[in-house]
Amino acid sequence: MTVLTTPAGSRQDAGTKPPPPVPWRQMLWVTWRQHRGLLIGVLAAFIAAVAGLLTEGLRIRHDYAALTACHPAASPACVQLSNFFGSTDWHVGNGVRAALLAAPVLLAMFAGPPVIARELENSTFRYAWTQGIGRARWTITKLTLLGSVLTITALLISQLFTWFFAPFVPYENLAVLTGAVFITRGVAYAAWTLTAFCLGAFLGALVRRTIPAMAITLGAYLALAGVAWLYLRPHYPLRTFWPMQVFEAGWLLALSAGLAAGTVWLVRRRAA
Amino acid sequence: MTVLTMPAQPAQDVTPRPVPWQRMIWVTWRQHRAMLISLTAVLGAVAIFLFAMGLWVHHNFSVLMACAAATPNDCGALNQSFNNTDWTTANTLLILMNLAPALIGAFTGPAVMARELETGTFRYAWTQGIGRVRWAIAKLVLLGVVIAVLTWAFSQIFEWFFAPFLQQQNTLTVLSKTVFDTRGIAFAAWCLAAFAIGAFLGMLLRRAIGAMAATLGVYLGLQLVTWLFLTKHYPVSVVTSNASLFTGGVSSSLNGLPSTAPDNSPWVLATWNVGHTSWWRYIPVSRFWPMQFIEAGWLLVLAVVLGAATVWLVRRRAA
Repeated sequence: MTVLTTPAGSRQDAGTKPPPPVPWRQMLWVTWRQHRGLLIGVLAAFIAAVAGLLTEGLRIRHDYAALTACHPAASPACVQLSNFFGSTDWHVGNGVRAALLAAPVLLAMFAGPPVIARELENSTFRYAWTQGIGRARWTITKLTLLGSVLTITALLISQLFTWFFAPFVPYENLAVLTGAVFITRGVAYAAWTLTAFCLGAFLGALVRRTIPAMAITLGAYLALAGVAWLYLRPHYPLRTFWPMQVFEAGWLLALSAGLAAGTVWLVRRRAA
Repeated sequence: MTVLTMPAQPAQDVTPRPVPWQRMIWVTWRQHRAMLISLTAVLGAVAIFLFAMGLWVHHNFSVLMACAAATPNDCGALNQSFNNTDWTTANTLLILMNLAPALIGAFTGPAVMARELETGTFRYAWTQGIGRVRWAIAKLVLLGVVIAVLTWAFSQIFEWFFAPFLQQQNTLTVLSKTVFDTRGIAFAAWCLAAFAIGAFLGMLLRRAIGAMAATLGVYLGLQLVTWLFLTKHYPVSVVTSNASLFTGGVSSSLNGLPSTAPDNSPWVLATWNVGHTSWWRYIPVSRFWPMQFIEAGWLLVLAVVLGAATVWLVRRRAA
């Protein structure tokens, strides 16, 4: 196939008239068609997670209510309730938390790199980037739509998880500022998910091959999470929950915007 | 491109020729060198980190033990530092170690066949003199052996790194699910099974990325089924009425209550009373190696069956 190589934004347009608005409605349909496998997968995982969290959450709250109402605490019946809550229920709670902590990077690994890298690998970029919309707005729209879906899903799930996990916080003497609890609540979880997605998209545009970009996304996310946990969070100028949440979400959002801008820049720079 | 559709094996070719291993080693290396180099590099880098971290952890632990032997009441700060800093790191690494086979399987397995189908190289590869069946067998066996050997060596380093925490964390024994899977030969067996799952799903779905996602899901499902339903049926449990096994001061650090498990085993399968005597059926911690061989054994059988199914799918598909 032969295509003409043209500069990314056609020069004669730039000075004379403002860029036309992004056609969100049409792009919604294109994004759905290109990424429906992912979007259906996310929806299925979301429904399964909500069902699981609701059923197990109700059961665990029931167990915890029975335990706190049990008197005297040293009686064999109460000890048995406490043992059950401390072993079986806590195993479920801890397992769900481990899955929730792994979810952003696993989701982003499959959502981020394909946005650009698959378009390059399958050569569909030759068609997509030469449409009237222009490749920069094409990329911005896809990143915004997919990023919004993932962020909203993550926000809903983390609120439900906070409700699910509430009985364990007093029982296990956990502080909400502990790293592994802090990032599952408030707005931090959604912000980490968005950052992971933008990281994946950026690395996909940089490496240009989906599977290596997926592996690098995993490594980069783990490194970023490790650095944030060990070096950044202990040095926040704030020590209370909500200011810390907003601060963390703030720098993650800035990082996400930077990575998205980097992706668009890489797309613009590359000759179609 | 036009190709002729032919039966996978010509009818006159009744006696299969041996697989030309030496030449296939070269082809497998050329096709998968990026993956093999990355896998070795990542495992090597983490192994070096574990080694350095392990020296530090073993040093801290021996200082703590020496303190506990000499002046047991003045070790609070040492104990707290070990519990917070060292244990938090080790626990995070333990979680990652439990996820590692799924990720290794997802990145290595689907690439074997699905990449060949997606990029169209199968048209060339499968029409060589070697024949597509032996081609598939050679690649699966070679990559499977490399993955099993690398991951086994890696798990030995992790096992050494983690040793102090088994002594220090009361609730963990070598039979705890998350610990058991990272030791002995179980880790390599799970990695091999994940690779075989990935290869099979790659050939079944014919798309690498879809097969990677499916591999993660199937692997987690298999782990869950093993934990909830299979392990308790391994023929290694014993019956005892010896109450002294679990009154030896073993306490769960979780909530300070006495553990209900003899030997602190996580696998108490049944308890019942006959008169005034309590009986337990449980898996003692000393049955670690028989359990390892049972688990690695059925995982190996599963890997071979999935490999055979992959080859069958390769034969069945018209080139």
